[in-house]
Amino acid sequence: MAAPFLVARDIAKAFGGTQALKGVSLDIAPGEIHGLVGANGAGKSTFIRILAGLNHPDAGRVEIDGQGREIGTPQRATELGMSFIHQELAFVPGMTVLQNIMLGVPKKTRFGLTDWRAIARDVAPIARRVGISAPLNAGVKGLSTAEIWLINICRALVRKARLIVMDEPTASLAASEAERLFAIVRDLSASGVAVLYISHRLDEILSLCTRVSVFRDGRSVAELAGDALNRPALVEAIVGGAIRDVQRAATARQRGDVVMEAKKLTRAPKVHGVSLQLHAGEVLGIGGLVGAGRTELARLLFGADRPDSGEMMLMGRPYAPASPAAAVQAGLGLVPEERRAEALFLSKSIAFNLGIANLDKLAFGRYLPLMNRRARTSMAGEMIRSLSIKAQSASTPVGRLSGGNQQKVAIGRWLQRIPKVLILDEPTRGVDIGARAEIHRLIRQQAEAGMAVLVISSEPDELPELCDRVLVMAEGRIVRELTGPAVSRKAIVEASYLEPEAVMEDHPA
Amino acid sequence: MSNVAISARRLSPGAKAALGIFARYGTIIGLLAMIATFSILSPGAFPTVSNFTNVLNQASLAMIIAGGLTLAVVVGELDLSIGFAASLHGILITGLVVHDKLPIPLAVVIVIALGAVIGLVNGFIVTKVKVNSVIATLGVGTILTGLAFAYSAGVPIVAGVPEAFLQLSLGRWLFGIPNNIVAMIVVLGGLWLLVERTPLGQEIQAVGGNAVAARLAGVNVDRIKILGFVISGMCAALTGILLASRLGSGTASAADSYLLTAFAAVFLGSATLRDGEFHVLGTLVGALIIAFGFNGLNIFGAPTFSQYVLQGAILIIAVGMASLGRSLAER
Repeated sequence: MAAPFLVARDIAKAFGGTQALKGVSLDIAPGEIHGLVGANGAGKSTFIRILAGLNHPDAGRVEIDGQGREIGTPQRATELGMSFIHQELAFVPGMTVLQNIMLGVPKKTRFGLTDWRAIARDVAPIARRVGISAPLNAGVKGLSTAEIWLINICRALVRKARLIVMDEPTASLAASEAERLFAIVRDLSASGVAVLYISHRLDEILSLCTRVSVFRDGRSVAELAGDALNRPALVEAIVGGAIRDVQRAATARQRGDVVMEAKKLTRAPKVHGVSLQLHAGEVLGIGGLVGAGRTELARLLFGADRPDSGEMMLMGRPYAPASPAAAVQAGLGLVPEERRAEALFLSKSIAFNLGIANLDKLAFGRYLPLMNRRARTSMAGEMIRSLSIKAQSASTPVGRLSGGNQQKVAIGRWLQRIPKVLILDEPTRGVDIGARAEIHRLIRQQAEAGMAVLVISSEPDELPELCDRVLVMAEGRIVRELTGPAVSRKAIVEASYLEPEAVMEDHPA
Repeated sequence: MSNVAISARRLSPGAKAALGIFARYGTIIGLLAMIATFSILSPGAFPTVSNFTNVLNQASLAMIIAGGLTLAVVVGELDLSIGFAASLHGILITGLVVHDKLPIPLAVVIVIALGAVIGLVNGFIVTKVKVNSVIATLGVGTILTGLAFAYSAGVPIVAGVPEAFLQLSLGRWLFGIPNNIVAMIVVLGGLWLLVERTPLGQEIQAVGGNAVAARLAGVNVDRIKILGFVISGMCAALTGILLASRLGSGTASAADSYLLTAFAAVFLGSATLRDGEFHVLGTLVGALIIAFGFNGLNIFGAPTFSQYVLQGAILIIAVGMASLGRSLAER
């Protein structure tokens, strides 16, 4: 193999107290299509951000063409010959194709003015090569995602990139568009441009890549090539051979009646034909990769979005909430994924944040619609004590609390209501270990008291620790149900990588 | 900006606390300082009971319309229709009383109900048709101006205004307190109670604080936003009525300038006591600053243009210093 274009050695990076990268190494040869896979939180994004000059590594070494390099800034990354195409494609809707290709690229000038005609002459052959069919002077408005992708690739080539990093390139492409992209990737490779190809779709990885690096828990744990590169080996490396012993929640308890039921719920493009039953007294987990449609499913159940088709039942009666307000009235509660953006009023007090879902309990009476502030304060004080929220008082603004305590406030808001169904989306994200254990205990307590609890988590260990039963989603569909002893980190991760088409038939309706 | 950032890092805790206090109490300190200055410079004319009553009486109409606007901005929207609406209301009530000879209480009820309907329309366009509130209320306001001209045929209604109607604004209440001030106290007191002391007020604050979170907490966000517009519309109607009574006439653009005064008061208020949040008490303070500023300049015979310069400058300086002080204190 030729001398590598890029060598990364023992790259480490911590954010606050979290060690995102503990030591990853990887090298890419000129013209190689190199795959990068790993579960959520394995460190792929952090690694790419370091290559792109967006984050600075705490330790480790990057070499380009055999020379040690400090990347430092995105500009420097470009100068060194690296281009990045992120999932959120960079383009300006109001501009032409050519202007978008030349975004951030130094342009030829004539008498101090941008010489678009000369630029168009230079760019035209490159645009033809990647297969941009729209005229260069056409607007990008109305172009498909696939064509925007081509524009991004073209930009990389105009910059004379020698390595193009593609993050989940096919996530939003149709099958035929994806085929076209693969052809272009192979063509790039043949002309000596290396591609670092990041994807959850193992079949694509297997058909495109000659070598694949696997990250797990912030380390590069395997590099597979040749005969060793196959699906079982990839899954094994992603999941990890030695599974950490996770303390399973006690599951011997009797679960109660079905509280909530969904039948073939669909909302394009993220949720397709999802059916599930949620019982009183159980903690049901929804596992899967980020983007598998879990949050979107939760929003359907909570009335935040309306399904295209399918139906729901609550306590045996038809349930079709027109709004979250209706869902709350019917007895649901939701702790959303982005607690700061979607759950909390950061400048308001703890009492305000807890009270907002319990206002009916805080009025003096029907004919005196004034708020009983003493009742609110004592309710907040009670919650602060019983959830051990660390705060000076009930009037402390929630924005001043730590992540874990903020999350307890977001959960506590619902506990006062004692909902029939409580949905928690990523309940312990960004929460320290102590608070995590307390939140888990709290969730179990609610289930034991008869509540039906639905927990969405991307963290592989969380669901086995917490749940009686786990449904795994992939690309908007439920691909596997795991019950009792079958619930394990390994089973969840394995199922997350299943192709939904292959399991559609044997999935219980 | 970078100079500010660098010096901020060297701030002592004491300086930070002082800046934080200044951010919150700066407008109140400014108001008191202004009153003190005018009192020293003009001890005979400015600090008298009659002058203060006069200032409050004059400012009451602006305070009422600004109080309504506060509700619209608390729920996170802007209402630019209020000034035009108040003009229409003024001409309409004059017409109802003078031409149609309606009893005054009935005319007042009709006009305030119309104010509520205008708010309802604004709220509906913003929440259901999903038009940005600046555009929606500017459009509605422009239509209202057209309606005002249509109703009056471009001619002010001046003749035959009954004394009883003039007394709405010119009359006095117990202890000789002018009706305008009484109305202002009732309206602002009621709004304060609503926003700060009722469960509904909690929802209003929640919608303004974080509409996404409010919706996911089960608050009916659209309904609350519409309510904000309705209250804003009703307050504009009351101001229009009292202004027509005070002027003794209905003119198609009489109240237009209240829009700017109301916005100035509301934004000055957001720099008062709370960190950049809109609230009724703040609006009251903001309106007082503007009223006393104008009055002081009047007493010294300052030309009219300087009053506008002052109003614009105070607004930018007060809001600017509060947000700067806040960001420095929080570093």
